[in-house]
Amino acid sequence: MDEKVPRSKIIETEIPMGTVHPAALEPYRVRFFVEDEIVQEAEITIGVNHRGIERIMEGLPVEKANSLTEKICGICSNSHIWNSCRTAEIGLGIEIPERAMYIRVIMGELERLHSHFLYLAHGCEVLSHETFSMRVFYLREIVMELLAMIGGNRVQYGCSVLGGVRPRCDLDEAKLLRLKEDMDKVEEGLTDFANRFTSDSIVMSRISGIGVLPQKQAIKLAVTGPTLRATGVARDLRTTMFEYDDFDYNVVTQPDGDVKSNLLMRALESFESIKIIRQAIANIPEGKVINRDWEMFDTDIIESYIEVPRGTLYHSYALESGRVRHSIIRTPSMSNIGAMQYACIGDQLTDAQLCIVQCDPCFTCSDRAIEVIRR
Amino acid sequence: MGIKSFSRARAIHVMLVYTGGCNGCDIEIVNSILSPRFDAEQYNVYLTWNPREADVLVVTGPVTYHNRKPLEAIYEAIPNPKLVVAAGSCALMGGVYKNCSADIPSEEIEGPVENIIPVNAKIPGCAVRPQDVLAGVVSLLPILLDAD
Amino acid sequence: MFENTVIYSILAVIITVLVCFVISTLLPGIERKYIHARIQQRIGPIVISPGIMAPIKFMFKENVEVSSPVSGLYKSLPIICFIVVLCILVALTPQAYQIPALSSLVAIVGFLKVEEICYVLMGALSKSVMSVNMPFPDLIKGATHLNANRSFIEDISARRSLRMITYGSFPLYLALFAPITAAGSIFLSDIVAYQQANGPFLFTLSGAIAAIVFFIGYMIILNEYPFSIIKAKSDVIEGPYMEYASKYRAVVYLTRGFFMFVLGAIFSVLFIGVPPTILSWGILINVAVALIFVFMMGIFSAFSPVFTNRQLLPTILGATLLGILAIVLGLL
Repeated sequence: MDEKVPRSKIIETEIPMGTVHPAALEPYRVRFFVEDEIVQEAEITIGVNHRGIERIMEGLPVEKANSLTEKICGICSNSHIWNSCRTAEIGLGIEIPERAMYIRVIMGELERLHSHFLYLAHGCEVLSHETFSMRVFYLREIVMELLAMIGGNRVQYGCSVLGGVRPRCDLDEAKLLRLKEDMDKVEEGLTDFANRFTSDSIVMSRISGIGVLPQKQAIKLAVTGPTLRATGVARDLRTTMFEYDDFDYNVVTQPDGDVKSNLLMRALESFESIKIIRQAIANIPEGKVINRDWEMFDTDIIESYIEVPRGTLYHSYALESGRVRHSIIRTPSMSNIGAMQYACIGDQLTDAQLCIVQCDPCFTCSDRAIEVIRR
Repeated sequence: MGIKSFSRARAIHVMLVYTGGCNGCDIEIVNSILSPRFDAEQYNVYLTWNPREADVLVVTGPVTYHNRKPLEAIYEAIPNPKLVVAAGSCALMGGVYKNCSADIPSEEIEGPVENIIPVNAKIPGCAVRPQDVLAGVVSLLPILLDAD
Repeated sequence: MFENTVIYSILAVIITVLVCFVISTLLPGIERKYIHARIQQRIGPIVISPGIMAPIKFMFKENVEVSSPVSGLYKSLPIICFIVVLCILVALTPQAYQIPALSSLVAIVGFLKVEEICYVLMGALSKSVMSVNMPFPDLIKGATHLNANRSFIEDISARRSLRMITYGSFPLYLALFAPITAAGSIFLSDIVAYQQANGPFLFTLSGAIAAIVFFIGYMIILNEYPFSIIKAKSDVIEGPYMEYASKYRAVVYLTRGFFMFVLGAIFSVLFIGVPPTILSWGILINVAVALIFVFMMGIFSAFSPVFTNRQLLPTILGATLLGILAIVLGLL
């Protein structure tokens, strides 16, 4: 299938949902134009959540700005601070110690695990399958406790700082051992869950063939991350990142681009994350975790792209006497909004929220660059 | 203890309204009710999405400009007695978003929540921990039980 | 003498209804705590919480002005639902068999239909704050269909309830009529008498199939997962019940538990031949049947997602065919 064609052009009625709705925990407005409960067109309006982070960042000292980027999103907070530090490190030419790089990768992958588990749990909740949702939340709790152990907080850990990671996030033997043991637990639990999930014929009949995003359309809409990989395109920015050079992992793809592919994609990718964390635990080099031996100078605009749980994250700013200038952040959900609107077309209204959720929306991330005009 | 307080202590419906912020508090609160590990239902706290059913309104996030009116509308839809819990540092004082830099206030943020609706309990934390959410909701019980 | 009998009968019916009502308030709690919470490996609420304490709590809440075009009718609908359920239970008691118009299957089907029509009206009259009424600054921006009619989510729910009336509850009615083929009468007294003479209808082939169909119909008419399309959380949130607050919501809560019990009682009358009455130990069988149904429903609903129209139609079609098979087998 190249392109979905709506069954007819008659719009019977419009169903607005949001800004507060159980299926979409975040505030955004979605308007479904339906005919006989079949969605003919969906329109997502964001901007409700606009807080103006980039403007607050403007003129802040770069260290402060880095920790501010963490507050963009409570799900992929580590990715933001990582990429923000990475931007400055590229611009200032700071050498990062090997050990710090490994710890960053471990945090990044743990965060991918928790984000993917959240996705699975939320997906099951929107399916109204409370039991599966609870089981995934139970698994996720193990990961959350690991994150709290390393970073000291359950959500915003502030792991990366300029030149490495915070000394508090250094991993000693006991922590590494616990990480290793818990990875076994997570893998066991996830395997169990994935087996049950895929063998549940009711759930499978409910999610296969729903919310299809054809590959051609996905490329046209510039979709990124697991949503793109679920349509069969093996594009993962981790393959180009120098942090991941030492690790051996596969880029998982799924063929169909429907909800089933997306959910399985996340589950399979979690196994790859566990693999990466295990390699990192086994090979973590000795040494210091932070390099304080660097100098601040003015730079041109610096850009950095990394792969975060939801896709490609872009940070860019220039430095001027130690302060951030012209900050731009583009989050993966921003480029996936087109996919969310497209995936709903032709499905039942009950499935429409599921089709939006399958693209892993995070509108908190996205709501920054919209201008608020006041009357 | 009369039948009124007795019944109120055994069925508390919580509604969650999320008004901006970073999503962290929001997920922790849903987590505290949906996850079997914290399981708020063992304290007879239920998560609902219908303002007509709710007793306690949990608000997270600094109220952004576009979120002010929905928040007010939902608050008005809840029948009395109703209580409001502000969860997370954004809801308590606007968080990192309230001031652009130094003391210049941000245009987009209307919050903290106190400026818009009366708040009965405040749960600090960035992001709030699930244990604290449960403690916060339970700490409201005396007020809820004595209300008429 | 005659007057005494009438008074005793009425007293027996009232006590029966009261006992059944008290037991029925426990059923939602039992489903929530002992089935759902156990399957989900958590502790869960106390048993009295969802069925008894929540309605009492709602009784003491402020009675707000509902946002509905005909608020008087809207508010009276849950009470009508409750009375309908009460009437069904009264019709099932052996004392009511003296009134043939009440104690026939046609009357019960009629009452069930009233219940279903109430959902349609509830959905159509509820205008909640959660969809169109939600204040949003920007209606025009990017709208591709400027003149599209804007609907509340409850309108969708009302339309779905209408659909459920036309085909959704068909399996239940087929299952209700299956015992007639054996007993040869639509009057409950004849059906009970036939079963007391010839053994429960449940243990015949036709009865066993009809019982399965009845169970599917039971879940459909109670709007429990997976058939909860008219109040699916993923789009219509609570559907027809969106606007009920305070006392009216309390009645909604009570009706649900009571309806679970009464449907169980219908099953025990039609398939086992034990009418609910306080005067015999048979009422224990009624309670047991109601509990078994709640247990089974809890297990099913904990392991299934909500069905959309796509899955609903084949499921109902299959159940309907099974129901027809049961009736044909009964006729043979």
